[in-house]
This record gives sequence, structure tokens and C-alpha cells, in this order.
Amino acid sequence: MSTTRHLINRQRRLAAATPVTAVRVKPRPDEEEPERDVPQAVAGPVLVTEETAADGETRAAARRSLPRGARLPVVLGLLTVLLGGFAAYAGTQASDLRESSATSNVALSDVARTTEVKGQVTNAVNSLFSYNYANTGTADRAARTLLTGKAVQQHKDMLAAVRAQAAKQKLVLTTTVTESGVELIDGNRARVLLYADQSNTNTAAKDDRTTYAAAMFAVDVVRTGGSWRIANIDTFTR
Amino acid sequence: MLSLRTARNPLTVVALALALLAAGAAGWGGWSWYAAAHDESAGYAQTRDDALQAGEQAVQNMNTLDYKRLAHGLDSWEASTTGDLHKQLTDGRPQFEKQIQQAQTVSTAKVLSGAVTELDERTGKASVMVALRITVTAPKGKPAAKESRLLGELTRTSGVWKLSALGQAPVGNTAS
Repeated sequence: MSTTRHLINRQRRLAAATPVTAVRVKPRPDEEEPERDVPQAVAGPVLVTEETAADGETRAAARRSLPRGARLPVVLGLLTVLLGGFAAYAGTQASDLRESSATSNVALSDVARTTEVKGQVTNAVNSLFSYNYANTGTADRAARTLLTGKAVQQHKDMLAAVRAQAAKQKLVLTTTVTESGVELIDGNRARVLLYADQSNTNTAAKDDRTTYAAAMFAVDVVRTGGSWRIANIDTFTR
Repeated sequence: MLSLRTARNPLTVVALALALLAAGAAGWGGWSWYAAAHDESAGYAQTRDDALQAGEQAVQNMNTLDYKRLAHGLDSWEASTTGDLHKQLTDGRPQFEKQIQQAQTVSTAKVLSGAVTELDERTGKASVMVALRITVTAPKGKPAAKESRLLGELTRTSGVWKLSALGQAPVGNTAS
């Protein structure tokens, strides 16, 4: 009899003890998801559900790696490094392609600009290297408006001999550009290669002597105020 | 929930901002790389420079000849040319070899300047102007230098620009 009573009493004690454990677990304020602990405590270790098992695993994994608050910044940091690296690489590639000498030179690829340079330079050379003793004003005006920089002196030197003898020999110098090729156009700078025929007529001589010459030279030009001016004359002298 | 959590952590906010900036930069960089690589005028400009370089080299080769290394020089002439010009050179080679061996001349050439005047990328045709200084040394006498105004036609054959015509720019009484 005592055995039965003893058993019943023991069961009562256990039954009373279980809620005490549950209660003691439940109010821990720092526990993140306290509700989950209740069924676990009540059911005992035998009835561990799948859900609780999975949850326990996730939390264990999180505990093994970084603290929860640092994970996202680290992922974002890695992403920043990867994206930044690509941005830098792509930017370098793009500027290499753009700033290659081929691309910055728009000779021929910019048809309108090429035609403009060719036309203006051809006209400028034709007037700058033509000289008529009877009308020196035209040549002076050309020199004033079509030249700039060191080309002013270069042109002066080149025409010095003609100017000196012009009045006496009644010289008529005519230059005609026969071929022109634009080597370079880069913004407001350009370079043009020219082949020209020159005829120099001594009209004072009785038999109207004319000498012909073939010329080749290149000019560097700059664009100022909408028109191209010659800044350097390259006659390929050594 | 996430935004609340994120907002609570300043490190996350900073990291997110940096990642977004980097993403923006990467997008812009990728786009400009693509645009630069597919720029049609850039391709044309590259073709122009390739044609000029090949043209200048070919013109120089065609004006360089050493009687002591005749076969080498004439091989280089043939390698620089195509079409009719190439045919003329190969046909006239035996006779020319004889002339140069008798004259014993050494010619060297220097390109002073060059320009492409026409370029048709599609058909692979180009015209070039090449200003050249040629120095000819004969067994007797001093080396003679002369300047040459050349006009050349280039044809692209299997990706390589070669001279199909070459001549002096005509000197005429065009001035009137």
C-alpha cells in the first residue's frame, strides 16, 4: 500500500515540479524567442519536433561564425570591393580605348571637319604663297589674317627673296595646291600634308620667262575664331 | 524587420551606401567600356592608322634597295605590293636585277610625312600621300638625296594593306 501511495506522491511531486521549470525558463528576458522553449520543456526531451531541431541548428551555425550584426556589413564590404574593382578595370579599359591616338585623331573619320580643314588650308596656302608685284596688298592681307605664331616669321623668310626682287623683275608668283592630305585633327589642332605647283613669272623679261617648281611641305594649323590659321610650316629641312 | 535592424547598425548603413556607390560605378564603367569598344568611328580611325602605317612602310620598302642584298630587297618589294603593281614587279624582276647589279647603287628612303586621303573600309581601298627623301649612293661620287612626292593606292588583301599602285604626284603647269 505504501508503495502505491509512495508512487502517487512521487508523480504529484514531479507534476508540480515540471511547471516550475517551465516558468523559470520562460521569463528570461535576454532569450530571443522564449515561446519556443515552452513546448520543449513541457513535452520533455522525447518529443523534440523537427522544427525545434532545425532552429537549433541554425542558431548553432550562427554562433559558430560571426556575430549576427557583423554579417551583413561584411557581405556588403566584399560586394563593394568586387564592384569597385570591376568599375576601376572597366574605366581603365574604356579610357585606354578612347584616348588611344587613333581615336583622338578625327582626320577622315569626321568628314565635315576634314573637308573644312582641307579647304581652308588649301586656300590659305594658295594665297600665302602667291605674290603679284602689282598688287602686294593681297599678299600682305593674307599674311596678316592666315598666319599665327612662328609661322609669321617662317613665311616672311620664305618670301623675302621674292619680295626683294618683285618690283624690279615684275614678279608674279603663283602657288597652286595639287594634293592635300589631313594627317591629324585633334580638337583645335590639325596637320596637313601638301603638294603644290609653283610658277614664278618674270614679266619684266622680254620673253616672259616662267619657272615651275614642285613643292611639298606640311603645315600645323590651329583653329581660332572659327577659322584655321597656319601656326608652323614644315618644309622637311634637316 | 530588416530595415529596423539595419538602421540600428551604423556599420551596415555605411557598408550598404558604399556597396551601392560601387554598384553605380561598376554600371557606369561597364557601360562606357562597352560604348568605347563598339564606337564605329574609333574602328574607322584605327583602320585609317593601320592603312597609313602599312602604306608608309610599303613606300619605304619600295625605295630601299642595296645591290649587295638584291634578292632580299626585291622580296620585300614583292611582299609590300599586290595586284597590278605586284605583277609588274615580278615580271620585270630579272631585267631589273641586272640593271642594279651593273649600277651598284644603294638606295635608302626616309618617310618625311604621310597622310591617308581616302579610305573605304568596306571595300578595303585607300589612297595615301607619302613625302619621302631618297638617298642614292653610287660607287662613285657623293650620295645624292632627293625628295619625292608620292601618291599610293592601297588594297587590303587578307587583312593586310598592300600597295596596288605607286607613282610620283604629277607636276604640271596647273598654275595659271
